[in-house]
Order: sequence, then structure tokens, then C-alpha cells
Amino acid sequence: MRRALALLPLLLLGSCSPPAATAGPSLRYGLTLAPTGLDPHLNASSELTIPLGSVYDTLVFQDPETQEFVPGLASRWEISPDGRTYTFYLRQDVEFHDGTPFDANSVKVNLERVLDPENLSQKAASMLGPLESIAVRDPSTVVLQLSQPFAPLLDSLSQVYLGMASPKALAQWGGAEYQFHQVGTGPYRFVEYVPNDHLTLQANPDYDWAPSVYQHDQPYYRQVTFRFFEDPATRALALETGDVDVIGEMPPHDAERLVSSGKYQLQAVPIPGQPLQLFFNTTRSPTSDPSVRRALLLSVDRARLVRTVFGEHSSVAEGLLSAGTPGASPAVPAELFDPAEAASLLDAAGWRRGSDGLRQRDGVRLGITLIVPPWGSNPEAAQLVSAAWSELGAEVDLQVAPGFGPLKEAQAGGEYHVIGVNFFGSDPDLLRPFFSSDGLYNWTGWSDPDLDALLVAAAESTAPRSERLAMYSQVAEEVASQALVLPIRDYTNLVVHRRDLSNLSFSRQGWNPYLIDLRPAP
Amino acid sequence: MTAFVAVTLTFFALRLGGGDPAANLMAQNLVSPEHLAAVRAALGLDQPLWVQYSSFLAGLVRGDLGVSLFNRRAVTTVIAEQLVPTLQLASASLLIAILLGLGLGILSAWSNNTLASRGAQLVGGLATGLPVALIGILAILLFSLTPLAALPGGGIQATRGLLLPALVLGFAFAGAIARVVNTELRRSRAEPYMSAAAARGIGRSPRLLWHALRPALPLVISLCALQAAHLFAGTVVIETVFSRPGVGRLLVSSILQGDYPVAQGLVVLAAVIYTLSHMAADLLALVADPRLRSSR
Repeated sequence: MRRALALLPLLLLGSCSPPAATAGPSLRYGLTLAPTGLDPHLNASSELTIPLGSVYDTLVFQDPETQEFVPGLASRWEISPDGRTYTFYLRQDVEFHDGTPFDANSVKVNLERVLDPENLSQKAASMLGPLESIAVRDPSTVVLQLSQPFAPLLDSLSQVYLGMASPKALAQWGGAEYQFHQVGTGPYRFVEYVPNDHLTLQANPDYDWAPSVYQHDQPYYRQVTFRFFEDPATRALALETGDVDVIGEMPPHDAERLVSSGKYQLQAVPIPGQPLQLFFNTTRSPTSDPSVRRALLLSVDRARLVRTVFGEHSSVAEGLLSAGTPGASPAVPAELFDPAEAASLLDAAGWRRGSDGLRQRDGVRLGITLIVPPWGSNPEAAQLVSAAWSELGAEVDLQVAPGFGPLKEAQAGGEYHVIGVNFFGSDPDLLRPFFSSDGLYNWTGWSDPDLDALLVAAAESTAPRSERLAMYSQVAEEVASQALVLPIRDYTNLVVHRRDLSNLSFSRQGWNPYLIDLRPAP
Repeated sequence: MTAFVAVTLTFFALRLGGGDPAANLMAQNLVSPEHLAAVRAALGLDQPLWVQYSSFLAGLVRGDLGVSLFNRRAVTTVIAEQLVPTLQLASASLLIAILLGLGLGILSAWSNNTLASRGAQLVGGLATGLPVALIGILAILLFSLTPLAALPGGGIQATRGLLLPALVLGFAFAGAIARVVNTELRRSRAEPYMSAAAARGIGRSPRLLWHALRPALPLVISLCALQAAHLFAGTVVIETVFSRPGVGRLLVSSILQGDYPVAQGLVVLAAVIYTLSHMAADLLALVADPRLRSSR
């Protein structure tokens, strides 16, 4: 006990020591989630890509403007006509931060690490699809062999989750500890990660292989420190007190207040993927009836809902994919709002208003169980939806699932009519698990062999990109014609930064900033 | 025993209420059913609950709390890393709570209706009544955005690093201490030994500070020990509001994400701290009040 007491002053002093100073300008970046794990090959959070996007280079990069794939660590590549063999020709002038040269064997080591079932990859492994083998042809050529064609592969390879890590460091640190000693080839090197506290990057002075998506060849800021601000109420304060220079996921009202002060700038960054949308359960009455689904869809004023809950900077979702996601099409236009038509649809389907204002048919009330996840502003949005449906004469039971696990549980139990969720992703193949009959996320319970075939054909397409993307418009038309989903809001990340910072731009996936391009405002 | 019951309850509560941890683990990813099944098997989640429970207990006996589902690191390592900042915060807050609580309690008991005692009662009431999170946000606003920010030396970073969070948490816990001190002092003021002391010519201040306060100390000490156990809960809020590392935040994130081994490990720790602080309280009370010793 006495020894413990003697340690006390030491403990107290420990927290006061300042971080090691570095020469040159530095930047502080606020993150909003302290990831439980930070290894991009093994962990899945979007937040980890914000710092690590600059630690790792990928074989290819995707141009955020044109959506084209451009050379990265691979200077060019070939795809066989049957779509199953990808040959990558690699740069030979690249070195990892620890001095290890980058070559074809590094690619093999990295991808095999991701695929190794022992490593329990949460995301990267499934991004590789039907990848069967990785062969080193010579030090600068690597060949990926697939069992089936897989159109999303380049998109996967352009993401940080499949960034190239030093084989030497991977071998040295192993599965659990590598996340604290990450070594890539990117414009910033990883310095340290103290869980829940901070993560530090330092500019890589040897960086000499910037892809064309970067505007600059070298970082300006010598050091970037990331800290975690989980409570949304603390994010605006973190900027105002000077704890950070940039921070994302700002609550809309705070964002507007900060911007109007004139000291900060806002960037509303659209995140590709599936918007927040409500899936109608087609296997349970009354949502098994398409006219009931259509009535529920028509009775919600989505434009007003989005403005009220998410503020001015988010847009109404109009399809299965957020606007700007490849293959997105506005199959469910924002103007689709007609409560009168909704009421007459229900009247025609036999759901009549009783004396209490609630609709019933054959003595059964029009009851709707709506389940939504707790994060973001989903509960608030669901409340407005539920109000609109009550107005229409439905008896709504709104439940907020406390997390993804319980949400999935509720879905598996099947005791719901409507369930809400959103997902991130930059390739439209993300729709397959949701709308295939046997998809793991087939939360509508819809089963249509033609739709299944279309989704597989689109995933395995070797046709030019535009033809492939057109198939997804077809999927959206089909789903919209059956009123299977009610899209609500395209996810938008509100990033606010000090006015004296400029050139903040983001990768195709929307989350990770190109730190190399950041400059002080002129 | 307490620890065992707490851990067992947590084990089953997490598993029965928190959904499928494998699904949680893969939450942000669209995996195939085969991949999910493989992960479930690799984590031993496909085993019957009683098998999982007995292997958990067997590990516990060996001092092995298992590995985190999310990053495969030993739970003991993950917790140990976060424990130091929490201990710093908790001990600094406890110190502040005791000093502030005693001060406010004495001040408010000093006399009945002076401005000082009224003020001390008001501050004590605020400390007890306001939610810790609100006090925290107000403190950040007050000490970082107003001219007050310039007051304490060392700048915002140093202040906000430990001093401000500790002040906020200490303030929140000082309220209860102040109330007990106040009540006890008022009660002992009426005791005959106080009149006796006055008769012996002992001044008002020494009378109050020594003769009246001393018998109140055991109660204050056991309250502090209780508070020490509750501090654990307070640090959850403070660590989030001040974006500090610590076991409080770790507990919240591990429960939300379904990282059961980490959450269980933290409950074991909390149970141990709770038990230890109660034992410490009993010992300290014996030291402080000789009457307790003789009565045993």
C-alpha cells in the first residue's frame, strides 16, 4: 500500500509530459471513434482509414473525380478477357518506411496475410472476393488468379484495407502487435498509437512515388497527430479550444454555428455506399402487400425529414446507392410524397379508418413494427417516419436496437415490418447481399431469380464499366417498382477545419483525406 | 464472492442481451455466411454457453482473462494500458473531492446564516445535483474559451490534460462529502463535549476543526471509500467528455462493440477495486476513531 502511495505522484506527473517536439509545421486532426483495432488488413472501421490512408500506398488508386483507376504501386495492369487473371506490373523504385524494398513478393505476403483464416480479417478478406492464388512471376510482376470473374477487385485493391505493408514488419510483430508498429510506403510514416489517446504520423522524406490523385509530391505538415472525440458534443469544443485543426462528423447545428463565426470552413463530404434506408419485410403482413409498402413510402416527406434531422448539408436519398456512388440511379425521386395517394391506396387495399383514426381490415389493425439502429440520427429520423405513418392511420411500434448485433438479431428473428440500416462502400456490388434471395442481408425477404441473376452478372461482368453500371440502374428500377425500400438520406460527413488550412480533399471512399496535399491557406 | 457473482452475471448478461459478437465484429462489412461461421468457430462462439462459461472460469483461475475479439491482444494488456490514466484521474479527483468536500462542509457548518455558509451550501448542492457530463462541458467552456483560460499557468493543454478533468470529477464528488461533514459537524456542535471544550477556554475554530470534526471522520472516510468505488463510473463520463484514455471509455466501447472478453475483464477489475476500497475504508476508520477499536 505504501509503495502504491509512493507511486502516486509519479503517476500524476506522468500525464504532464509533453509529446516529443518535431521540427516543422504540424497538424492536429480529430477522429470520432477510438477503434478497438487499427490494423487495416484485420480491422474494419472507416475511422482507421483516415490516418492510415497516408501510411499505406495501394496497388492502384481511384480518381475521386473521374472514378477511373490510376497507377499506384502497380505502374500498369492487365485483366484477362475472361476476367479471372489480373497481372500487375509493379514500380521498382519503392521502399517501405523501414528500408525494405517493395516487390512482387511483398504483394503476395500481404494478400496471403489478409486471406489467412487464422487472422480473422473483418473486412479486407471479403473484399478480395473469389481470389484463389497469388503468384510471383518475377520481382516486379504479380499475378492474381480468381475462381470467378469479380468486377469489384480493382476498387478493393485501391482501398487502405488492402494497403501494402512491409513483409519484414509483418513477420516481426505478428497479428496482434503489428497495429502498433505499422510500416507502409506512403507519404506519412506511422510513429505511435496509444489506444484511446492519440496516434502520430510523421512525413516520409523519401516519398517519391506519388500517384496522380495527389496534387503534391511531398507533405507540407511534418507531423500529424490524431485524437479521438467520441462524444459529438465535444467536437465543436475541440476545434474552438484549439485542440484540433480539423474534425469530422460534426453535428449539423454545431457545423452551422462554427461556419457562421467566420473562423472555420465546412466541407460536406458525401460518403458513397447505401444511404440510410428502411427495408420493408415482404414476408409478413401487412408489408407483404405492395400497395401497403407504396402507401408507406408515399406518406413520408423525406425532403423535410432530412432537412429537420440532418440539416442543410445532407441530401435526400433517391435510390439504393447514395448519389455519386458508381451505378447510383434516382429510382425513388425525392419529390415522391403524396399522402392523399397513400391514403387512397390503403383504402383500396381494404384498410379503412376506424372511429379512433387507426386503420383496420377484417378487425386487424394496420400495425407496423419499425426497428432502427442507434447510431447517427437514426432514432430521430425514425420518429418522424413513424409520425407520418401514424398520420396515415397505422399503429407504429418504433424500436431502437442498441447496436449492430441486436439489430441483426432482430432481423434474424423476423418480428419486424420495417428495418433501417446504412452501409459504406464504393462498388455497387455492395447491393448483392441485400437483394439476392440468399443474401446474408436480404432483410426484405424478397426473392426473384431474375434479380439474383442480374446481380451475379453485374458482379462478374467483364464488359466495359458503363455497361456494368447500367445493370445496377436496372436493379434499382426493379427494387423501386416493388417498393421494397424507403431511402432516406445519403450519408454526408461534415468536416470542419480552421480557415487557415486549405486543400483538404478526400479519397473516393470519402473518409480518408489526402494528408499529403494539405497546405496552410494562402 | 462479490467479484464472482458480478463476473458471472456479466458473462450471461452480455451473451444473452448483446447480440451475436461475430456479427458485431463484422458489422461494417458485408461478409459471406461461410466467413461468418468460420469466425464464430475460430472465436469459440459456436460452443454451448456452459462450455464457454467454464473455459472462461478456468482462465480466470489462472489469471488469464482471454484475448480481445477485435484485436487479438491479451485482455490484461489492453486493460493495463488504460488503467494508468484512469488511476491518475481517480486519485487526483479523490484528493480534490476530499479537500473540497471538507472545506465546503466546514464552511457551511461554521455558522448558520452567513453568506459564506449559504454559498458553500449552494456550491455543494450544485455539485451533488448537476450531471458530471454537464459540469465537464461547462468547465471546458469556462476554462478554455473565456479569459479564465489564461489564469492557471501551463496553458490549456496541461490544464485540460489532468487538472480540469480531475477538478470536475472531484467537484462532483465533493458534494456528498460536504453534506456529510456539514451534518456531522452540526450534530456534534450540540454534544456536551463541545460545551466542555468551550468551558475549558478552547477557541471556536479549534473546537470545530478538532473536537467536532474528529468523530465525524470515520463516516467521511467510509463515504470516501464508497466514492472511490463510484469514481469508476464517474471516469466513464469524464474520459468521454475530455477525450482522455482510460478504462471507463474502454468499458463503454467494449460493451457497445460486443468485445466480451474485455468487458468481462473490466468487471472483474471493478469488483476487485470495489472490494478493496471497502476493506481500506474499514481499516482507515479503525485508525481514525479509537472508539471503533475498543468496541471490537
